[in-house]
Amino acid sequence: MRSKKPSEAGEILQGTLDLLILRTLVTGPSHGHTIAQSIERTSENALGVEQGSLYPALHRLEDRGWLQAEWGVSENNRRAKFYRLTAKGRKELNAAAGRWRKMTHAIGLILGESFE
Amino acid sequence: MSFRRFTNRSGKDQDFAEEIDSHLAHERDANLALKLSPEDARRQAMLRFGNPRTLREKEWLYRSIPFIESVRRDLSFALRSLGKTPGFAAIAILVIAIGIGVNTAVFSVINAVLLKPLTYPDPQALVTLVNTSPRGNFPGASIPRFSLWQQQTGLFQQVAAYDFGGSGLNLTGGDHPQQVQGIHVSASYFQMFGAPFVAGRSFNAAEDTPNAGRFTVLSYGLWRNRYGGNSNVVGSTIQLDGQPYLVVGVVGPGFVTDTPADLWVPFQFDLNSHDMVTFFTAAARLKPGVTLQQAKVQLRVVADQFRKTFGADAMPPGGGFGVVSLQETMIGDTRSRLLVLLGAVAFVLLIACANVANLLLARAAARRREFATRAALGAGRGQIIRQLLVESLTLSLTGGLIGLGLGLTGVRLLLKVNPGDIPRIGEDGSGISIDFNVLLFTLGISLLTGIVFGLVPAITASRPDLAAAMNESNSRSGTGFRSGRLRSILVVAEMAFTVVLIVGAALLIRTFKNLESVDPGFAMHNVVSMSMSVSGDRFQTTAPVAQVIRGGTDRLLAIPGVLDAGVSNCLPMAGGFGMGFDVVGRPKGSSGGGAGFCSISAGYFTALKIPLLRGRLLTTRDDAAAPAVVVINKAMARQYWANGDPLTGQILIGAGAGPAFAEGPRQVIGIVGDTNDRGPDTDPSPMMYIPMAQMPDLETALNSRVAPLWWFVRSQVDPHTLVTPISDALREASAGLPVAHIRTMEELEAQNIARQRLNMLLLSVFGFAGLLMAAIGIYGVMSYSVQQRTQELGVRIALGAQASSLRNMVILQGMTLAIIGVVIGSGGALWLTRFLGSFLFGVKPLDPISFVATPLLLSLVALVAVWVPAMRATGVDPMVALRIE
Repeated sequence: MRSKKPSEAGEILQGTLDLLILRTLVTGPSHGHTIAQSIERTSENALGVEQGSLYPALHRLEDRGWLQAEWGVSENNRRAKFYRLTAKGRKELNAAAGRWRKMTHAIGLILGESFE
Repeated sequence: MSFRRFTNRSGKDQDFAEEIDSHLAHERDANLALKLSPEDARRQAMLRFGNPRTLREKEWLYRSIPFIESVRRDLSFALRSLGKTPGFAAIAILVIAIGIGVNTAVFSVINAVLLKPLTYPDPQALVTLVNTSPRGNFPGASIPRFSLWQQQTGLFQQVAAYDFGGSGLNLTGGDHPQQVQGIHVSASYFQMFGAPFVAGRSFNAAEDTPNAGRFTVLSYGLWRNRYGGNSNVVGSTIQLDGQPYLVVGVVGPGFVTDTPADLWVPFQFDLNSHDMVTFFTAAARLKPGVTLQQAKVQLRVVADQFRKTFGADAMPPGGGFGVVSLQETMIGDTRSRLLVLLGAVAFVLLIACANVANLLLARAAARRREFATRAALGAGRGQIIRQLLVESLTLSLTGGLIGLGLGLTGVRLLLKVNPGDIPRIGEDGSGISIDFNVLLFTLGISLLTGIVFGLVPAITASRPDLAAAMNESNSRSGTGFRSGRLRSILVVAEMAFTVVLIVGAALLIRTFKNLESVDPGFAMHNVVSMSMSVSGDRFQTTAPVAQVIRGGTDRLLAIPGVLDAGVSNCLPMAGGFGMGFDVVGRPKGSSGGGAGFCSISAGYFTALKIPLLRGRLLTTRDDAAAPAVVVINKAMARQYWANGDPLTGQILIGAGAGPAFAEGPRQVIGIVGDTNDRGPDTDPSPMMYIPMAQMPDLETALNSRVAPLWWFVRSQVDPHTLVTPISDALREASAGLPVAHIRTMEELEAQNIARQRLNMLLLSVFGFAGLLMAAIGIYGVMSYSVQQRTQELGVRIALGAQASSLRNMVILQGMTLAIIGVVIGSGGALWLTRFLGSFLFGVKPLDPISFVATPLLLSLVALVAVWVPAMRATGVDPMVALRIE
């Protein structure tokens, strides 16, 4: 049982978590907990981040050189690992966002107006 | 995919753990802010996050490469499992190390001799110019030939002449004259070989013309040792045989020639000479794009042109010119020798593989339950095979690494003791080294052997009958038919391979013994030989040479302990010069290929105790003023005077060989015994001996240039003790000439049969190694079988079986395997020894002694190896055996 059950929109679409992480970090470095919160909050709780998949995603992005991680001190005065967008990551974000927009547009075209 | 993913796995895992802690702390903070109790805040945080351990494991897997991961696991398991049986591991590794070691050793020689290209630039284009004849190809060039070859600019970029061996020169001008190796070369020599110069330059064309003056190029070694590496030596003069030579250059250290040289001097040929004497070698660099075949075809035309110009005397019908790759020329017949050795070591490796496979099979049988358990717990066949292969590869790679060191050290030690007449291996085998080829070869056979001896036991072990293996209450109830039969097959194979090896070794041992017992035709004991170079200007005529010989001989005979002393321009067993001749009164050219030719002093025959058969020997009175005489050997008398008396005959030596050899007829005055000049495994060839004092002057001049004088001194005592007085006496007699190459005739003979000795030694070592391994193999199988059957044996004894019948039963089983192996092996050897034919002397490939003695020896060894476990079988205590569980 979860304390903050995400709303029915539920799970984040496969493959979009990377994009969301990258977008979240545009505003500046943050640590995992903040990233999760910020995704949920910004999506008005429409998207819940499965915490178990957030960290593997972060590490994968770091391995690819899109993020850079560094231990620091959080707003709560606790040790936390902060992730920062690299120049390479910014480029990827632009590309991925473009792809996403193209795709949603295309899907929108096919679905057309509401059926109801 | 980024490689970063796989690095620093445990560090990253630690980091992740901390990161998770940090996340949980932050979540707890957030929950506390929602006014949850601290206990609830913690609990909710944990619940929301899920299981950190699962997450970390997933991440760990994400950071691993599955194949490497499992191999790593298998490897650590293999190491642990082998570590538990160190005795087994040590024996297995040792056996593999021997097998791979001998292979690495032989391959490293093959690599150095056959595979490595020559060290000159673009070596494929270098060829030796040869004279072709129906009897084969012979290197050797005369000035007219060389001149004509040089004109073939469409074929060759350069043609170079150089003498083979050379006469040695005396480096004078210091306190101690020093004999150095000087090689005569044509001006094109250095350019053709692409020799680097560290100072100065090569000879130019003008310096290589007759009477151009005296010039020399120094080797790097001589320049460093004698002149301290001082570049100023270029442009200065050095003294050679008392004459000033202008140093024009110094070649670099990388320039290695087949006959090592200290310095070079130009030939200064008169290219218009019609002198037909063959006294040097010629090599050439093919023009780019010209193939060996094209060159051969074109040279046929050149040979016809030569015959037209100089007549059929100079070029017999059937003769011609040809080219052979320089590397081929240098390797000679070593290739087949090395390939036979490679075959022999392959057998050793096969025996080693069979041996280790056998050990592994026994081990796998003992671990049957372990594998059954693994299979029951879900291990697939592939996984079990992989695990066992990793084990066997661990063994083979470790063995290979040890074998690499063992093999290379071994081969270098061996070649230091006995270079065995192998070309291209450098001084004492120093040219043999580890390089990429050798490493690749050793790695390759290590992997291969690991798979070969590991696969069969692995496949056998991976097919466990689960129920039977797990339920088996008694681990001693037998090993099952399958692995028992496999092990027997392996033992039979080991025995068979060993028979082949030992038959080969026996044939070579007999060859060597036969060679050693051949009568060389001259005295070996207490005879010492040494060379004196008479290359200087004062020895351009015969009289001064004869004077030195007379004076030297007198002084030597005055030394207490010296019995006889003599001189020759050829060294017995080293081969001499060939020379055409005509018997007076017979048609010109009827003597065919000619005969060997030595000029000698009067004391030569007595010093070497070459027996007089008829007529008389030379004396000091056979000098320039006396009638011209010649002594011939028995082979010559037999060949040319089959129905006649040679002592009534006269011969004309050097017919058609050019003005240097023009002389009148010589009376045959004596017949002496044959000497084995071309090595003990060749029949003696016809020889003519003429007194040195009667040589034509021009011939002496040529002789002085191409060959040293060889002195032979026979003494009452060990000649080593007389070296100093002998050298002193000769120096006094020659006004300061040093002697070099001081060796007893026994040492020369050892050198002469060094290759057969090396062949024999190596094959004996291989054979012994094979024998040892085969004995271990059969012992292992039989004692294992006895151990497995303890219970059965106990029952038999309890039921009244006699000890002797039990013993015989075990012996019979073991010997059956041995005999089958011996029979198969003898069959194989019958077929394989044909490849040894050309290496044998005085013994046929199907030598009955070798083919009877070897199987007997092997059966005897097998009997000993089987006897021990058989005795153990009779000692089984029935009570212990039955209660053993």
